[in-house]
Amino acid sequence: MTTTGSFPFARKGTMRLTFGAGIAILAVFGLVPAVAVLVISFTDITGLPGIPIDWIGLRNYLEFFSAAHLGDNLNALRNTVVFAGVSTVVQVVGGLLIAVLLNQRLRGRTLYRAIVFMPTVLGVTVIGLIWSLIFNPSGGPGASVLALFGTHSAFFGDPNLALGLVIFVQIWAGLGISVVIFLAGLQAIPDELYEAAALDGASGWQRLRLVTVPVLAPSITTNVLLGIVNAMQSYQLAYVLTGSANRATQLLSTLIYVQGFGGTGGGVAESQGYAASISIVQFVLVGVVSLIALRILRRREARL
Amino acid sequence: MATTKLRARTAVRSGIVLLATAVVAALTGCSSGGSSSADSGAPTGTLQMIVSSADGSDAGFRAVNAAFEKKYPGVKIQFDTISNANYPSVEASRLTAGKVDLLTAQPLQVPSYAEGSESNDAKLAASGQFVDLTKEPFMKRFTASVLTAQAFNGKDYTMPTGLSYYTGVYYNKAIFAKYGLSVPTTWSEFLKLSATLKADGITPLGIGGKDGWPAGLPTLAAVESAYPTLAERQQLAEDLWKQKVKLTDSTMEGILEKTSTIYSLAQQDFAGVPYASIPGDFAAGDFAMTPDGTWDNAVIASAVGSKFDIGYFPLPMSEKASDNKFLGGKVELRLAVPTSAKNKTAALAYLDFFSQTKNYELFLSHAGFAPSEPGITAGAFLDAISSYTSTFQPAWDMVWTPNNKAGTAAVVPFDYTALTPLGTSTASQAAQSAQAAWAAGF
Repeated sequence: MTTTGSFPFARKGTMRLTFGAGIAILAVFGLVPAVAVLVISFTDITGLPGIPIDWIGLRNYLEFFSAAHLGDNLNALRNTVVFAGVSTVVQVVGGLLIAVLLNQRLRGRTLYRAIVFMPTVLGVTVIGLIWSLIFNPSGGPGASVLALFGTHSAFFGDPNLALGLVIFVQIWAGLGISVVIFLAGLQAIPDELYEAAALDGASGWQRLRLVTVPVLAPSITTNVLLGIVNAMQSYQLAYVLTGSANRATQLLSTLIYVQGFGGTGGGVAESQGYAASISIVQFVLVGVVSLIALRILRRREARL
Repeated sequence: MATTKLRARTAVRSGIVLLATAVVAALTGCSSGGSSSADSGAPTGTLQMIVSSADGSDAGFRAVNAAFEKKYPGVKIQFDTISNANYPSVEASRLTAGKVDLLTAQPLQVPSYAEGSESNDAKLAASGQFVDLTKEPFMKRFTASVLTAQAFNGKDYTMPTGLSYYTGVYYNKAIFAKYGLSVPTTWSEFLKLSATLKADGITPLGIGGKDGWPAGLPTLAAVESAYPTLAERQQLAEDLWKQKVKLTDSTMEGILEKTSTIYSLAQQDFAGVPYASIPGDFAAGDFAMTPDGTWDNAVIASAVGSKFDIGYFPLPMSEKASDNKFLGGKVELRLAVPTSAKNKTAALAYLDFFSQTKNYELFLSHAGFAPSEPGITAGAFLDAISSYTSTFQPAWDMVWTPNNKAGTAAVVPFDYTALTPLGTSTASQAAQSAQAAWAAGF
């Protein structure tokens, strides 16, 4: 058998073909739109036919960072950072602990695993509807439970509570994925490591800290990165639970949606060019945060 | 030998892969079938129609659509209702794809001092994307004052399906009768009435604050009472744009203060109650009144059933009864035909059919809109409020043009969303932040 080429696949013309097709589809549906967003962020395109499009340079970016919008943008940015930070940390830590628990020999652990994973399978709209109904102040189950304690709350209507509740629902919905990834990692840890540690006199908690966590470092990296990138971009839950115009839960992505497509009472829809410029700002932000996180996590991994 | 077998299999495999790639490419390039259109004569083909959704009007459109299809069996109406929040994006994608023949649009003309702040629908009308309906014979059926209110650059690009009024409150006549209360005509009377209700353990008002905009209806009522004529409201808008008055002036701040008072009379935790729960809660007697629009009268009536009688009166936010005499409203869903429509014949035939008296009455009976044609029987509810609607008065949100360069606190521009319990500010704090946001746009 002769090798007729090197990268990407030696001799396998079929694989080159399918690989090429895959790259082509990715480029057309992924790369081209991304570059297009960058280009249109320098115009005042409205996305509607027949309306003239003008090149306006950096005006969209200047408007985004202008004094008038600064308050709203900082608010959205702060909400996004809190949302991403808290939901990622709780999802990773909670996911790890639950995965360790579900890795033991429990009776019915397959059932428990299914229950933990079930919220991930439900769509965002269904989750949003369920929790909106639960947290309806006029007679929902949440209100009834609080009434037992003699108090009441506006839940999503309370500006101090709304973001916290949205984060709670986000964690509830995303915990399953973290658990599954950690379970996969846990099952790859050889038992000999635990036996050796037990022989050396390590307690359960020490085994977790000194054996499980270091060996699981790649899974932790994956989960944290996935969590951060997902949480910084996801707005679907906040949108379904509280609408797009609620200042207490307005995230950067919701701001883009409202600016690009208009929202009820959320203000005048600007051009989609403006929305594209906010998208680029968000992209830079998510990129920077992800790179920093990756750097830190890879270093911890390498230490093993 | 192993290698010859492998080579034959490789050939078959690559053939299958090529076929699969070709199929995928063909599927992605495929689009749904287009509609045929006749040049003239009876309408045929598919009529693609999208409207902004509301329970009443959706039912009304479906009834008219069924009648239209019965009259013109060659036409098939593809009718889609889209929620208000998603409507702008669906409108944009359908227009770009050229897959809509009839849609609801709201091109509002923007005064010269606010140039640059046109909505997308206004931009579409200005660039000739909507068919000019001014000379169409069916437009003559509509009330002249309504057509004037909805004209854009002196032309009619849309057909008004009706009117709605929303600066008033629905009230539970049984509760009012039980405590000997009559309809208030001044702000003091309203406060006294609410105090009586509260003393008897009844929540005066019910508001669906979670959706945001329902909590803004009392603010619009306050502007209506503070500036009772259309000319005064237009002058206010111009003065704000030209920065001759400030949002921190006493009348402006007074609007927010009165809104705060209204919120203190609303049910507990109303900021978290969705708008859709309100008819049910009103029917259950959880509160005596609810600020809402006349578009909801069919939904509220069906929720209440025969438990008690319902009435509607303008929310009196001024001390002078004469300021509180009329309801502010808007032209309801307006139907437009895009110039890129593939089936203009059917679209125009539909508009003609819709505006015929019998079909229009059928629509109104479901939709609960007030008629935009003269001489139409409006139904018991709308007849009862006819004294408040004798002249059609566009409410504040139809007169005001927001500035996209200003902050979001200055959208209304009276920032009711910042007031407790929706937000965390007092009336004067909200007025100051709105003024700061407004001034920053210049």
